[in-house]
Amino acid sequence: MQKGNLHPITQYTREVVKIFESLGFDVFEGPEVDNEWYNFDALNVPSDHPSRDVQDTFWLKNGRLLRTHTSNSQVRYAEKNKPPIKMIVPGRCYRNEATDSRHETTFMQLEGLYIDKNVKIGHLFWTLETFLKKIYGDAIEVRFRPHHYPFVEPGMDVDIKYQGKWLEVLGSGMVHPKVLRNMKIDPNKYSGYAFGLGIDRLVMLKYGIEDIRQLYSSDLRFLKQF
Amino acid sequence: MKILKSWLKDYIDIKLTDSEMAEKLNISGTEVESVTSFLDSNVVIAEIKDIKKHPNADRLRIATVFDGKSDLTVVCGAPNIEVGQKVPLAKLGAKLGDIEIKKTEIRGVESEGMICAEDELGLGNDHAGIIVLPNEYKIGKPLSEYVESDAVFELEITPNRGDCLSHIGIAREIAALTGRSISKTPISLDMNSANIKDRLSIKITDKKLCPQYMARLIEGIKVGPSPDWLKKRLELLGLKPINNIVDVTNFVMYDLGQPLHAFDADKIDGKEIIVRKNKPNEKVKTLDGVERIIKDAILITDKNKAIAIAGVMGGNNSEISEETTRVVIESAEFNRKNIRKTAKELGLVTEASYRFERGINSGSVEYALNKAAKMMQELAGGRIISGIAKEEEKAPNKTLEIEYEKINNLTGLDLSVSEINRILNSLGFEVKNDLCIVPFWRHDIEIWQDLAEEVARIYGYNKITPLALQEVKAPKKSTYYYKEMVKDALAEEGFVEAINYPYLSEDGIKAANLKTKDLLEIANPIQPENKYLRNSLVPGLLKSIAKNPSFDLILFFEVGKVFSRKNENNNLAIVSAGKNAKNEIEKVIENICVRFKIDKKYFNIKELTTNELQKFKIKKPVVYKSELNLDNLISLIKVSGEDLELKLNQKRINYRPVSKFPAITRDLAFIVDKKIESSAVEETITEISELIARVELFDEFTSDKFGVNKKNIAFHIYLQHPERTMIDKEADDIIKSVIKNIEGKFKASLRK
Repeated sequence: MQKGNLHPITQYTREVVKIFESLGFDVFEGPEVDNEWYNFDALNVPSDHPSRDVQDTFWLKNGRLLRTHTSNSQVRYAEKNKPPIKMIVPGRCYRNEATDSRHETTFMQLEGLYIDKNVKIGHLFWTLETFLKKIYGDAIEVRFRPHHYPFVEPGMDVDIKYQGKWLEVLGSGMVHPKVLRNMKIDPNKYSGYAFGLGIDRLVMLKYGIEDIRQLYSSDLRFLKQF
Repeated sequence: MKILKSWLKDYIDIKLTDSEMAEKLNISGTEVESVTSFLDSNVVIAEIKDIKKHPNADRLRIATVFDGKSDLTVVCGAPNIEVGQKVPLAKLGAKLGDIEIKKTEIRGVESEGMICAEDELGLGNDHAGIIVLPNEYKIGKPLSEYVESDAVFELEITPNRGDCLSHIGIAREIAALTGRSISKTPISLDMNSANIKDRLSIKITDKKLCPQYMARLIEGIKVGPSPDWLKKRLELLGLKPINNIVDVTNFVMYDLGQPLHAFDADKIDGKEIIVRKNKPNEKVKTLDGVERIIKDAILITDKNKAIAIAGVMGGNNSEISEETTRVVIESAEFNRKNIRKTAKELGLVTEASYRFERGINSGSVEYALNKAAKMMQELAGGRIISGIAKEEEKAPNKTLEIEYEKINNLTGLDLSVSEINRILNSLGFEVKNDLCIVPFWRHDIEIWQDLAEEVARIYGYNKITPLALQEVKAPKKSTYYYKEMVKDALAEEGFVEAINYPYLSEDGIKAANLKTKDLLEIANPIQPENKYLRNSLVPGLLKSIAKNPSFDLILFFEVGKVFSRKNENNNLAIVSAGKNAKNEIEKVIENICVRFKIDKKYFNIKELTTNELQKFKIKKPVVYKSELNLDNLISLIKVSGEDLELKLNQKRINYRPVSKFPAITRDLAFIVDKKIESSAVEETITEISELIARVELFDEFTSDKFGVNKKNIAFHIYLQHPERTMIDKEADDIIKSVIKNIEGKFKASLRK
C-alpha cells in the first residue's frame, strides 16, 4: 500500500558512489573497530605528536578503538592490492564528543584513494572538481586551500562557493611518503592522492536540515520525507 | 589563536583591508575563523544636508544627513558641523566598542544615529569635533573601506605550524604573501656592571630534555600594574592583565611565540638552577594552587626544591608577588615530546605547553629573553645584571635538498629555479646551491614534499592546472552493492530505513536482556549512553517504534554493523508494528527470498511478548522482529550484475523541518477512479500547503457501491505550524482547499 523510504544518508552516499564508480573507483569497506596502527600510526599520526589530539577517540577496553575516519582503510586496502589503486570507502566513523546540533558521536564519511605512477596534484584537482560539478552543477565554483592532514603532503581543504560564501566540503592531499612506505609501496616509484568527505554535513546542506541529530532520530515524520 | 592587526604592524606595514588580509591568510593555509573589525560596517559615509537649532538645547543642533538611501535626523553636539560636509555616521545598530547605537530621544528630539568624532571610532584621541571626511569618499560606503582601524583575527593554527602561534609568525606569513619582509628591531640593553656569574648559574642534567636554558636577573624592580597600551593588547587577546612582570612574559609569548617564566629571585635557594627529570612521586604545587604528584616531567629546581614544571607551569613557591624586587627571567627550549607527555599526564595544557609541544623558534630563545628584560626594565625599573646564565646545546639547522624537478612535476607548475628560490627565501629559508637551510622556527619541514607545499601555497593553488584521469576500468561489485540491493528490496515493500546509534547504555542492556560479557565496552565515553557497542540491531529498532506513536503502521529496517567481543559484521533487522504487522513482515521476507533465491529458513520471525513491549515502552499491541547476519546472507544471494546497479531516488523532495508544536489531525476520504494512484493524490495534498506536515494513507478499497471502477481512498492529514500552535480556523481553510484541489485534479468526490 505505501512505499518505503531509504535514509537520506544512504541516498546521498549512493549518489557519490555512483559518480566515483563512473571514474573507475572500486568500493571497499573497512572495519569500524580497528587498532591504533591503521587508524593513526600508519597514517603518520604518532601518539607523541599534537596532530593526534585533533580527533577525540573512543578507546575500547580491549585496547582497540572506533575508527575516527575512513582513512583507516587506506593501508589495509593497500596491503591486499597492488597499485594502481583506485578505491573509495563509504562508512561510519566515530568521535568521542558531546553532541549538539552540529556535532555527533557517529557520522558517515567517504574516503578516496588513488595511487599510481606519476599521480600529480592536478589529478586530484580534476577528480574533485569533476565530482563537485556532477553533484552541484557545472557552474559551481571550487577552490583548493592548503591545510594540514598528517597523512598527506601537500594537504588541502576544498571549498565550494555556496550562497555567496566559501564552504569547506572536503579534505584532501597527496599521500605522504611515510604512508606509502607503510603500504609497502615505494614513494620513489609511485605517488597518489587521498580525499575524504563528510556525508552528514552535505545531506544537511542539501535539504536545509538544521540539527544533525535528526538524522539518527528514527523519527518517521522526518524519514518519510525522503 | 587571536591576532591583533595593530600588533602585526610592529613587524610589517600592512596595506591590506581586513577582508583582503583574511582572504590572503585563508588561501595560503592559515584558516581565519572570524574577523572582528573595530570599525563596524554600519559606520557609513553620510552627507550633511541641513542644520537646524535644537528647540530645547542651546549646545545641540539637529542635522539632516543623507546616508545614500534616505535622509535621517541626527542630534549633534559638535561645534564644527556644516552643510555639505561628508561625515562618519554610526547608523542604528552600529557597535562602537561595547555601545550599540539605538534610536534615542535627546531633549525631546529623536535621533536616528550618531555623527562621530575620532575617539568614538577608536581612530585617535580627538574629541574636539566630528571628523570631516575628504570629498572623494562615496556616500553610503562603510568608512572601514577608507580608513585604517584595528581588528582581531581568530585563526585556526594546525598542529604542524607552531611558528604561527605568535604575532611575528603571522607577520612572516603576510610578508611572504605580499612580497615584503618583516623588520625585527635589534635589542640593546642598559646593563649594570655586576655580572650574573657571581649570582646565578644553570645546570642541565640531560640536554636531550632541554637543549637550551637561559636566564637573566633584574634587581630593584617595582611590581605594579602595566601601562594601558599593554593591558589593552592582552585584553584584546582574551587575557587578564596581572602585573608588569607577568604581563611582559605573556606579551613576549604572544609576540614571539617563546613562552617565558619569571621567578622571584629571592625565593630561589642557592645560586644554581638545575634542570632535571623528576624523582619518583615528587610533589610540586603549581601557580594555580594545585599540589601535583609528578610521574614524568622535566623540573626546574634549586638547591632544595622544585620551582616549576618545565614548559607547563611555574611553582607557587617562587611566584612573583607585590613584594618582589629581584626577578629571574627564564627563556628555554624543552623537548617537545616530553612536554606533551607531561601536560597530558597532568591534564594541564597551558599556553606554554601548547607552544613547546608544537616547537618554538629555537633560534630566538635569547632574543625573547632580551626583549622581556628590556620591557621589564622600562615598565618596572631596576637594573639588569650583565650577562646571561645559560647552558645550551642547540641543534643545528636542518638542511634539505631542493628537488626542483620533483617539485615542478608534483605540482604541475613550471617554475624556474630562481622563482622557487625566491619563494623559499621569502619564507625565511636560506638557499645555497641546491640546498636550503630550514629556518629554526619551521619544525614541520622534513622532506622535499614539504617544500613543494610551501612553494605551491605561496605561488597559489589556483595556478595549478587540473589533469584528467586516464582509462576508466569497470569497478568490481563489492559487498556494498549487495547491501544496497537488499535495502531497495525492503524500501520497495514500504519499509523505512533507520540508521540508529550503534551504542547501548546500561539501561538499554537491561531492557534488551543482554549480557555485558558479550559486548565490546568503550573505555572513555564522555556520555553514558555510549558505554557499549550493540551486538544486535533490534533494541535500536524497538526504540524507533516507541518513538513514533502517532503512526498506525510502523515498518522499519536497518542495515549496520554489530559487534561481538571478537568480531564485527553487517546485520539486517526488520521490525513491524501495528495493524497488519504480521502480514507486512511475512510478505517482505517472502519477496526477498524469491527475488534473491534464498531459502526462507534463514529468516526467523518472532512476535514480541507483552513484557518485552512494556520494557521498550511500546504502545502498539503487535510487534514482529527478524534479524540475521547480512554478510552470510549476501554470500548466498544469486543475482546478475545488472541487479547490482545503484538506484537513485527520482522523487522530488521538499524537506520540511519537523515542528515541535502540536499537530491538528483531519481525516479525508475520496471516491476516485480505480486507476488513480493513491501516492499521486498523497503527493498533491502534501504540496497544497507548507503547513501540511504529513499525509498518511490509511484505507484503500474498491466497492460497487461507489460506482463502476471506483475506489475509496482515505488519508490522515497532519497540519502543523513550524513556529507556533496551529489554530482550528487555519486548519479548516487548508482542508477546504485540499478538497477543492483533489476534486478538481482527480475528478474525485469527497466521501461524507
